[in-house]
Amino acid sequence: MNMNNTIKTICAEQWRYWLRTKVATTVLILGSILTLAALVVNGFHIEEAAHAREHLQHEAEERFLSQPDKHPHRMVHYGHYVFRTPTPLSVIEPGVDTYTGNAIFLEGHRQNSAMFAEQRQSAGLNRFSSLTPSFLALVLAPLFIILIGYGSVSREREAGTLTLLLTQGASRWQLVLGKLVALMLASGVFLLPLLLACVYVAFSNESALVVTLFCLGYMLYFMLWAVVVTACSTLFEKSSASFTVLIVIWMSACILLPRMGSSVATSIEPSIGKLEADFKVEEKLRSLGDGHDVNDPAFVKLKQDLLEKYNVDSVDDLPVNFRGIVAQYSEQRQAVVINEFAESRMQEELAQARIARQFGWLSPTVALRSFSTLLAGTSIETHHRFLREAEMLRMQFVQGLNKVHVEKLDYKLDMNRNASEEAADKAVVEASNWAVLSEFSFQPEAPMARLSSAAMYCLQLLLWVGVAVLLLNLAVRRLNP
Amino acid sequence: MMRSNDIKREAGFVFAHRQFKLTLLVVFLLSTVALWSGHAEMKAQQATIERLLEKDTVEREAVLSHQNSYGMVAYYAFHLTYAPPSPLAFAVVGERDVFPWKHRIRMLALEGQIYESDTDNPELAFLGRFDFAFVVSVLLPLFIILLLYDLKAKEREARRFDLLNVTARNSHAVWTSRTLVTLVPLALVTLIPFIAFAIVNGASLRSILLACVIVLGTISVWSAIVLAIGAAQRFAKYSATHLASLMLGVWLITTVIVPVTGHTVINAVVDTPEGGDIVLTQREAVNGAWDKPVEATWEKFIETHPQWANYTAYDPERDGSFNWKWYYAFQQVGDERASELSNAYQQATLRKNQLAGYVSLLSPSLLTQRLLSNTANTNVQSMIDYENKVRAFHASLREFYYQQLFAAPEFTEASLKQLPQFTTTSQVTTTKNEHTGKHQ
Repeated sequence: MNMNNTIKTICAEQWRYWLRTKVATTVLILGSILTLAALVVNGFHIEEAAHAREHLQHEAEERFLSQPDKHPHRMVHYGHYVFRTPTPLSVIEPGVDTYTGNAIFLEGHRQNSAMFAEQRQSAGLNRFSSLTPSFLALVLAPLFIILIGYGSVSREREAGTLTLLLTQGASRWQLVLGKLVALMLASGVFLLPLLLACVYVAFSNESALVVTLFCLGYMLYFMLWAVVVTACSTLFEKSSASFTVLIVIWMSACILLPRMGSSVATSIEPSIGKLEADFKVEEKLRSLGDGHDVNDPAFVKLKQDLLEKYNVDSVDDLPVNFRGIVAQYSEQRQAVVINEFAESRMQEELAQARIARQFGWLSPTVALRSFSTLLAGTSIETHHRFLREAEMLRMQFVQGLNKVHVEKLDYKLDMNRNASEEAADKAVVEASNWAVLSEFSFQPEAPMARLSSAAMYCLQLLLWVGVAVLLLNLAVRRLNP
Repeated sequence: MMRSNDIKREAGFVFAHRQFKLTLLVVFLLSTVALWSGHAEMKAQQATIERLLEKDTVEREAVLSHQNSYGMVAYYAFHLTYAPPSPLAFAVVGERDVFPWKHRIRMLALEGQIYESDTDNPELAFLGRFDFAFVVSVLLPLFIILLLYDLKAKEREARRFDLLNVTARNSHAVWTSRTLVTLVPLALVTLIPFIAFAIVNGASLRSILLACVIVLGTISVWSAIVLAIGAAQRFAKYSATHLASLMLGVWLITTVIVPVTGHTVINAVVDTPEGGDIVLTQREAVNGAWDKPVEATWEKFIETHPQWANYTAYDPERDGSFNWKWYYAFQQVGDERASELSNAYQQATLRKNQLAGYVSLLSPSLLTQRLLSNTANTNVQSMIDYENKVRAFHASLREFYYQQLFAAPEFTEASLKQLPQFTTTSQVTTTKNEHTGKHQ
């Protein structure tokens, strides 16, 4: 018999058996329905969120620009909102999207945190599981593959047909490969909808290379499980032993280790919260002076320098608005301090995430999770990028407004603004100045940057494939009827 | 009747299996590690609160010593509020990692402050917490399935089934005692570490007992499910692993499919305002007030604060160079403008939680998780209660400062001793102007 034909026959035989038994067909049907449901539900959800956030972003910009003439510093406090739009691949891997807030209020003198994490609205219903394609693929699909394939070889042995097959001329490798191919095809039932969704995303606006590698990652993962399941089924004499061992492997790899990673990271690398960092910022800032108060002793030197530069005797004679200068100067100094702490906080969070990701050496599920969130742009890195871009925008419009304050608002009118309502009405600048605000449209990191940060986790995944193949090799060599 | 002899014999039989002893060891380790990590985290949270309290006092005193008017004090003085972890929170982190448990607030419009969140690393929250509740609600059922699925089938496959039934004085007693000698050690290895940690953390006897009952309840429910499937006549011809697949199917449907379907349906059914709308509305109202005549703000403000109707006139001599009371009045009006949305937002959160409670009746795992987090006060309701405490505290700040700003007594540092203090024991009192009718 031709080698390929033998494998084909064994594979076809296995499929005939699965289609006869209820468990396998039920699992196949249930699995594909779930995957489809997850894709549809999550797809709609992300689409809706993307629209809502784009709309809110647009609205926030319009509102800012349509503000009437007013004092420029009031616009600094009026502030602006930015929203993080989901990345294209969130349709499959939403990642941290629901756990981070997705809106930030930007204003002068303060760096606010992101608001409205969706997870708070879920009442704990999807803390363990979520109807996202990535959860199904990472956690449930391996269970399905186990339920379908745990007995593929051991059943033949228990029924006594193994000897028959081997004496009829099939080699041990042919037999096992036939079973493996059958199982891979079965797992393809769960994988296919996912791949189709990826193709759809690729046609929208994601880099084709990223999407291809994303798909490859999932394909490797599914193959890996099919190999492990077939190997165990070959290795153990009884189906029940193979079943128990596989379920234990699944529990540890898919459920236990990812969470262990998260808990270990929290204890190894404790991170001080934002509130605590805020206190440190304030402590440091107190020495820098209050930007609202031009008489603060911290600004004496600034005043001296300015008077010398323009060669005048009092701030009243300066050609620029001294209050604006103070605002500009203190905002800048404050931003340096704030960002020093914000940056170290982000580094702490990143260090925590990296510790958790090291568990990828212990569990392929963790490896693929890191790989797919990094490629999809739904990891902590992308959220940090959002925070940094929001901060850049904040500084850009606040300092832009302060510049307007310096150059376009008369100092005397400004100082007199609290005297009466008429005086307040005079201490304003034209609304056309609000155009200092630039548009915000959040984009994840460039494809190459995402690929290079995901490379290590691809390595983890490949290591696992290697381990699985070795296991299969061992199993085949030890296969005795 | 079960006899002690039967139990002894079965215990000897069950403990002779290496697999059983190994399972017990694994469950014991998992339970201990989960408890330890929860314990460490709650200790860290407590330490954080203590550090924050210390810094809060220092910071506020530094601010107060610099200011010489109530308006400025109110603008610059932040107040720390926090929800300390309950003695049982180490076992159920619950909602504490997505809801904030600490806020610093000041006299400005609250709606712009209360949605700030200082929560933990989102990527770790997304990977999930490995706490005791997780071990009990998700993993323990799987271990029960693994231990019990082949209870009878194993004997049937080994062709000892009939023999056992015949030789035992009472065939029923054999299976009952074998189940018991399997489950009692399992319950013990799960609960003994829990009780030890609970005592260390100073949990009340009542809450410990309650948690133990919930854990035992979970074990009973899952054992009943597993035994019922194993004993069903319909499945008598199934192999042991076939039966186990069925049991896993039940686990999958109740632990995964029911919750996610429930979540999807609840999200579709309950109308929730966009969070962004609340803060946008509030901001428009607050900032718009600068461009409106002062009277427009007063008119709205007096509607809810008639007692200050005669004190709105601004006198620079008395009130200082800036009209602070008008400033805080429009902050108040801004909150009131957003209050309908914000109320609806909170109501939606509670409504979803309530519906999730009904969904959990279909899912033993979810029910266990919810019951445990109710016991540990780490459920949605507790987090909302904290939010309402913050609201109530903010209201008391307003009450204090309005007195100073409107009645305009001489500024003295001593009067600041009367500043309201946030206490975690304070009752959630909702004043007329703040969120009302929150608790059904």
